[in-house]
Amino acid sequence: MYLRILKKDFKRKKTMNTILLIFITLAAMFIASSANNMITVSTALDSYFEKAGVPDYWFAMTSEQEMERFDAFAGENGYHYSCTRLIQIDPRDVTVSGAAFEYGNSLCLSAIGGPRVFDDSGKEITQVSDGEIYVTAEIFGSGENDFYEGCKIVIASEGIKKEFTLKGYTKDVLFGSSMIGMTRFLVSENDFALFQEKNAGVMDSIAVYTDDAEFMEKFQELDAQTIMAVNESGIKQMYIMDMLIAAIVLVVSVCLILISMVILRFTINFTMNEEFREIGVMKAIGITNFKIRGIYIVKYLAISAIGAAIGFAFSFPFGSILMENVSKNIMVSESGKFLLNFACVAGTAMVVVLFCYFCTRKVKKLSPIDAIRNGETGERYSGKGFLHLSKGKLAPIPFMAVNDILSEKKKYVSMLLIFLLGILLVIIPINTINTLQSDRLIEWFNMAKFDLVISQELLFSPDGNNADRIQEKLDEVRAVLQENQIEADVFQEIMFRFYISCGNKKKSSLAFLGVGDVTTDMYSYLEGTAPQNRGEVAISYLVADEIGAKIGDDVKINIGGETRQYTVTAINQSMNNLGEGIRFYQEEELDYFYAGGSFGIQIKYTDNPDSKTIEERKALIKKQCPDADVYSAGEYISYMIGNVAQQLEGVKRLILGIIGCINMLVAVLMAKSFIARERGQIAIMKAIGFRNSALVIWQTLRIGIVMLIAIILGTLVSAPLSKLLVEPIFRMMGAYSVEFEIIPLEVYVIYPLAVLAITVFAGMLAALQLRKISASEVSNIE
Amino acid sequence: MNTILKVDDLCKTYIVNKRQNNVLKNVSFHIDEGEMVAVMGPSGSGKSTLLYAISGMDGITAGRVEFCGRNIGALKPKEMANLRLDEMGFIFQQMYMLKNLTVLDNIILPACQSDKIRESRRETVQRGQALMRKLGIIEIAENDINEVSGGQLQRACICRSLMNKPKMIFADEPTGALNRTSSQEVMEELAKINSEGTTVMLVTHDVNVAAKCTRVMYMVDGNIKGEYNLGRYDSVSQLRNRERALNNWLMEMGW
Repeated sequence: MYLRILKKDFKRKKTMNTILLIFITLAAMFIASSANNMITVSTALDSYFEKAGVPDYWFAMTSEQEMERFDAFAGENGYHYSCTRLIQIDPRDVTVSGAAFEYGNSLCLSAIGGPRVFDDSGKEITQVSDGEIYVTAEIFGSGENDFYEGCKIVIASEGIKKEFTLKGYTKDVLFGSSMIGMTRFLVSENDFALFQEKNAGVMDSIAVYTDDAEFMEKFQELDAQTIMAVNESGIKQMYIMDMLIAAIVLVVSVCLILISMVILRFTINFTMNEEFREIGVMKAIGITNFKIRGIYIVKYLAISAIGAAIGFAFSFPFGSILMENVSKNIMVSESGKFLLNFACVAGTAMVVVLFCYFCTRKVKKLSPIDAIRNGETGERYSGKGFLHLSKGKLAPIPFMAVNDILSEKKKYVSMLLIFLLGILLVIIPINTINTLQSDRLIEWFNMAKFDLVISQELLFSPDGNNADRIQEKLDEVRAVLQENQIEADVFQEIMFRFYISCGNKKKSSLAFLGVGDVTTDMYSYLEGTAPQNRGEVAISYLVADEIGAKIGDDVKINIGGETRQYTVTAINQSMNNLGEGIRFYQEEELDYFYAGGSFGIQIKYTDNPDSKTIEERKALIKKQCPDADVYSAGEYISYMIGNVAQQLEGVKRLILGIIGCINMLVAVLMAKSFIARERGQIAIMKAIGFRNSALVIWQTLRIGIVMLIAIILGTLVSAPLSKLLVEPIFRMMGAYSVEFEIIPLEVYVIYPLAVLAITVFAGMLAALQLRKISASEVSNIE
Repeated sequence: MNTILKVDDLCKTYIVNKRQNNVLKNVSFHIDEGEMVAVMGPSGSGKSTLLYAISGMDGITAGRVEFCGRNIGALKPKEMANLRLDEMGFIFQQMYMLKNLTVLDNIILPACQSDKIRESRRETVQRGQALMRKLGIIEIAENDINEVSGGQLQRACICRSLMNKPKMIFADEPTGALNRTSSQEVMEELAKINSEGTTVMLVTHDVNVAAKCTRVMYMVDGNIKGEYNLGRYDSVSQLRNRERALNNWLMEMGW
């Protein structure tokens, strides 16, 4: 009998059963792929690090004497380490597919050594043939250069020129993150030796493997001059941007699961309500509660089994789309996907049946007549809505749309929740991306405000002429500006790495000295006042926290073996190296021999030009400095944080796509469900003379109003939610005082309107279906 | 008397499982203004289908239906909707109303949607209330539709059908779901409306209901088998004789 009843039911309630099947399929797909992605993403970095064999400590040194000292230190203490030689190459000495290599950070060349490196398929690269070259995934995918497998890369450095064929890209754990500020080209031993012979800029990358918890303290006592010194957690933090993307995928996944649950609850409640009349009839003729519930549980089990099976098949490609943006730089584990996806879809099917079980629990409590009244006992203590057509001036159609929502809030809450989650998923990432691309990051990177940057990175050499070279470069830029009658300050940030200590707490930190037309009061500080004299410094929040220094405290900084005492006058924030920063007074005497690098030459116009003039000047300067990369402030910051902004743009587009599709589907399916349920009402309205167009507007308006409420709510909560969800990530990156860059027109108008338009359009298309309902169907209303 | 509804060779065919089902077969008749016509016949004879076809609620397969001189078959859906809204009133067996509106809101809904009578919302509400008062249901104006009895609801449906001052009311078994007392009350209201000049056409199985009409058409198998002209009645006392005569005629028709 069950089968016969089910067969009839599937045939008769085709629309609602199909809608239920689609929703279960979607939910199973979302849940399976999202749960899988959540696990993959949250364990991705750890499994990648384990696979690659990341060292416990990682240093880079340029001096051979320092290397010898470290070797002796390691020997004395019995530390095991590996050393990989790196040659620093000026990116301008490289061409890719015949064009200049566009890259502003440091570039080095090395043969295989240190932690394991993998190719795009996740296979370890153990050998590179002569004439072949690998680049990291980060720059391969940045889109700034024409990299493709088999393309020609020519390196011409210090009189040696060689053409390489690109073999592919690497997942290189030490050099793969844009936050490291350095990338590596992997070549064969022979090719490396060829360049090493004549190149002075050789650097040692030292990977230390030890369980000694006191290693860092002992190493700090050595006072070795390093250009980089991080432990494993430091390396991990360098992938914070990749993790930021992973976190967004994680949030998307969680939201999709939530959306699925809401959809399931709505659909099952909705379809179950449809069944109550039948349940009443069955109860009236004496069928037991157990048997009645059995019929529906079997029905939902059958639908959920089919939906789960289809969802299972689609969960793999859908999950891969989401993960695509995460797995570019890091390795993600593919194992266990099948089982997990299967478990998730089985779980989804179980949830559907459980929902059904709980919904049908009501069957026991209802009398046959209650059930026939669509599950309502007839008792009600308050009116349905508080709006009255007779007491207002609203036209009937908008009135009915608003009144329906207010009268049946429960029915529309699910829709509202789905739309709200969707709109938040759009607004929060856009706020984050806009912030990452805004001028605000200039302050967060502890730089003075500027309008333009000429990226000409200096390669410091031990010949003692670094100061002159810097001045020369600055003067060259000043001359170009003078020639064009442009008034501007020209300056540059020189980077050092020093040990700073307060009491017995010591830390290696990046330090900055502004040279040229810049003074310390041009930087921003969270507390205190800018250093005004030699012997004064500002330190970052992270450094202050780690060495326990406060404003007014004396700190010691080791500069080339000499320990100098400074007074802390201010605390600032710095996203450089995840929060490190010491800011010296501009006239502090520092030997550039110890400099580790520099930012580009910064230009700050003093005549307050408008944005159009800035653009014109940029083009002019670019024309006069053809060898240099010229960036606007926003472009430079975007470039400094790697291509993450681009990746985020990808994620943003993906999210917009997913939300657009979900909203369309929800709007279409819900509109269809409503029409299926309100067939009788629609027929009555047609009978009394309502036109199709008016009824379509009525149906569409309800979806539009719910979407509009979701947009308003989303707009209201997005700012505090952005702060709550994204600020901790910025904090981990060293930015302690975060003001989001909110572009109201884009975030609160353009994107929400786009989502609203898509949703309303989809709802309207679905509502057109009501044209098929004839007024004469009034006689067929059950 | 002017003819308000003229039906010529009306056919309505449904295709069910590839089989042609001719529900209405060349039906022809006319109704004059101010008439109150009942359509009777056995179940499945096509009474309701006829009502829906001539009121433009359902399409026709062949023939011609003229309402107030307009061929409704040639009207666009939008024009047909306007005609139903402004010139026709409908009453159904089940008291169909919109569940999220109060009784009064349901009643004034067609008037709010229509441009036929230019008036303020306040005036519309007053008209609605006046109709409710006339039909004795003013006390349920602010109630939800599931808080009132079937008889009250059917009278509310009559009020709704009258809101736009239609030329003709179509009623499909308006007393079918009511008890005897409610049924009588509703029919009295319809008769009163008819006496005030509104043409009424109703489908019924009830001889008592049909006896209140001026003319009765008997349908069998998609065709009008016969017509019985009852004329108007002056007093309630005449009703019993009319019922008896109608019963006799129906017996002759094979009722």
